[in-house]
Amino acid sequence: MGQPLVHKSPIPGLGLSAGITLTMLSLMVLLPIAALLVKGLAPGLPALFATVNTPRTWAALYLSFRLALVAAVFNLVFGVVLAWVLVRYRFPLRKLLDAAVDLPFALPTAVAGIALTALYAPNGAFGHIAKDWGFKIAYTQWGILIALIFVGLPFVTRTVQPVIEEIEREVEEASATLGATRAYTLRRVILPMLAPAALTGFALSLARAVGEYGSVIFIAGNIPLKTEIAPLLIVIKLEEYNDAGAAAIGIAMLLISFGMLFVINAVQVWSRRRIGNV
Amino acid sequence: MQIEIDEISKEFGTTAALFPVSLSLPSGALVALLGPSGSGKTTLLRILGGLEFPTSGRVLFDGSDATALTVQERRAGFVFQSYALFRHMTVFENIAYGLRARPRATRPPEAEISRRVNKLLDLIQLPQIGARYPTQLSGGQRQRVALARALAIEPRMLLLDEPFGALDAKVRKELRQGLRDIHDTTGLTTVFVTHDQDEAMELADLVVVMSMGRIEQIGRPQDIRARPATAFVRDFISA
Amino acid sequence: MSDIPLAYVPKAFKPVATEVPWVRWLLITLVFLVLAVLLFAPLITVFYEALREGVGAALTSLTDKESLSAIRLTLLVAVFAVPLNAIFGIAAAWFITKYSFRGKAILITLIDIPFSVSPVVAGLCIVLTFGANSWVGSWLVAHGMPVVFAVPGIVMASMFVTFPFVARELIPVMIEQGKAEEEAALTLGATGWRVFFTVTLPNIRWALLYGVLLCNARAMGEFGAVAVVSGKIRGLTATMPITIEMLYNEYSSVAAFSLAAVLALLALVTLVLKTLLEWRFADQLAAQHRH
Repeated sequence: MGQPLVHKSPIPGLGLSAGITLTMLSLMVLLPIAALLVKGLAPGLPALFATVNTPRTWAALYLSFRLALVAAVFNLVFGVVLAWVLVRYRFPLRKLLDAAVDLPFALPTAVAGIALTALYAPNGAFGHIAKDWGFKIAYTQWGILIALIFVGLPFVTRTVQPVIEEIEREVEEASATLGATRAYTLRRVILPMLAPAALTGFALSLARAVGEYGSVIFIAGNIPLKTEIAPLLIVIKLEEYNDAGAAAIGIAMLLISFGMLFVINAVQVWSRRRIGNV
Repeated sequence: MQIEIDEISKEFGTTAALFPVSLSLPSGALVALLGPSGSGKTTLLRILGGLEFPTSGRVLFDGSDATALTVQERRAGFVFQSYALFRHMTVFENIAYGLRARPRATRPPEAEISRRVNKLLDLIQLPQIGARYPTQLSGGQRQRVALARALAIEPRMLLLDEPFGALDAKVRKELRQGLRDIHDTTGLTTVFVTHDQDEAMELADLVVVMSMGRIEQIGRPQDIRARPATAFVRDFISA
Repeated sequence: MSDIPLAYVPKAFKPVATEVPWVRWLLITLVFLVLAVLLFAPLITVFYEALREGVGAALTSLTDKESLSAIRLTLLVAVFAVPLNAIFGIAAAWFITKYSFRGKAILITLIDIPFSVSPVVAGLCIVLTFGANSWVGSWLVAHGMPVVFAVPGIVMASMFVTFPFVARELIPVMIEQGKAEEEAALTLGATGWRVFFTVTLPNIRWALLYGVLLCNARAMGEFGAVAVVSGKIRGLTATMPITIEMLYNEYSSVAAFSLAAVLALLALVTLVLKTLLEWRFADQLAAQHRH
């Protein structure tokens, strides 16, 4: 490698900034993750797999992943609609709505969790209505789904909004002059342009939902095999002083989220290459 | 197709972009709308294409009232200043777009679409670039692709908004001839907007000089040059 | 391009680059309904439940010893976690944007890791690193400096989950601003620190504030990661979110929601400040916030 590790620069502060960055990154992020990997892998891969390979753990991982996926798909569709409405239409209270979209980012998850539970519990405002229809939301998978939709709501909207702002109106006009109906223009011109950004938001929303704990734990009911999410299982193992068991599930969750990020990154690189630099 | 503009005016809110203007464009003519920015020439072009609706007045195509026709119904081949190519589609897909967007009953089969697209690529003298994306093309190539895309729908007329505006001087000269050739081959009534009097004078059969939302003069290039109707026209074409 | 004209438009003409009115109003109504159910209803519930037995009851529960110590602890955690992450964010952004070196993309990816890790896994990582069962942890405990089930662990867990916030805001802004101004200052004889304080910092201050704001909101509200490391010792390691959980599980609804209302107010203040920053200083914030 002929290239130097760091190119010489007249700007001072290289040592200090590199030192702070690398030290804190190692201490705060890399070391703890390494500790998780060491602890989880120490007994060997077969032992790790045996720890994870229980019906209860599989049920929890499957539940977390499946509901996160459903929530992310909802947020993908609704997030694109919301972004479109906020950027393209003018109506009263638009700016308030725009600012409110970030509420799930700002509101602590425990606060969201107890509020959603109070709303959707059988004696809550919405839960009461559901009960009259013979339907239960809180303490079922529906409740978990609502919590996951809540925490993932802003991601797609926030990644798609700037892209919509940059679409030239001329592109839409061109499509119309070529004879395309509005619906055809939306489907064939607008949606493909939004796809890479929407996918990024989808990935972020999914990653967030898979690992979500605070907002879910109150509304879930936490019944093993039914409404017990994977992060809760880690907490339970830790409370039983089963560090190795907790580490095993932790590694499984890391693998799931990194695997997802990898797949989605690959899809994005592919679509960027096709579309050019969007 | 013969185009008749009858007392067309356009207001945006309280500001008038066009005062009532009337204009008759003979079938098959190559017409330049010439004027500085803010003269209303682009607004007039957009009204012809159905992208804006006039505040008052009528547009007639071959004598029948076309004012209420939607953009889609007008079948005007429109070339935008920025070309507005779809950048997530290949050149081929861009040109095929208008044919594929047709309702199933009138949509040509894929083989026919492919044949027409390739013919258009030959017409713009870029037969090899069908598989490329717009971001991989030069400015001049993009302009020609936009032209081919507009021609693919078998338009009744060709409308171009500053077709050479985004190009450097050398490419600009080359493409002028290209537009002339395409006009002569297709025989389409063609209207282009420009602020460059050289371009208008060299290329057009008929030049419409506009200023501040009004038509200053209509005439053949040599007539306008020989007998400018107003002081504005005299200044503008000698600039 | 111009907006849709206000002038009289006959029924036949449909503006080209938008949807027909009934579709627009349908979508706007849909958005209002969904956001009302998903966002506004929970927010209102927090305050409704807190004030269910009157303002007096809510305030009394907040001045309870347990709640007060939770508020104190949460503030203490933020006082450590936020400035430390701000320093990291500035250093990382400086390192990444002012120099060219191999492995930059990897470094940026590593900084972003906490965003894709579950907070519970983050807490778990801290427990496994510094818990009494690990060799670092046992040494620390032996020397009277326990991390897990103590305040330092809570600070570290909060730092882990908010680690990328400031760096993420600063990096795009500093890339956009380039390094010409810093180089100019250097040629004029300024020292490194002087360049930083008189040239760089003024250019990035609003982006920095933006990042700090988000970092602070998340650090004060973090639940999952803190729940794992805190041990939930009343009066000692129970932050506000942890105390909310304990009160809620003990059916002290008013007390739980009163504390939750305080955090919800903090969230609202954060949102207002954030929105103000976006309106006022859009040009000095990272590109994705410009609208």
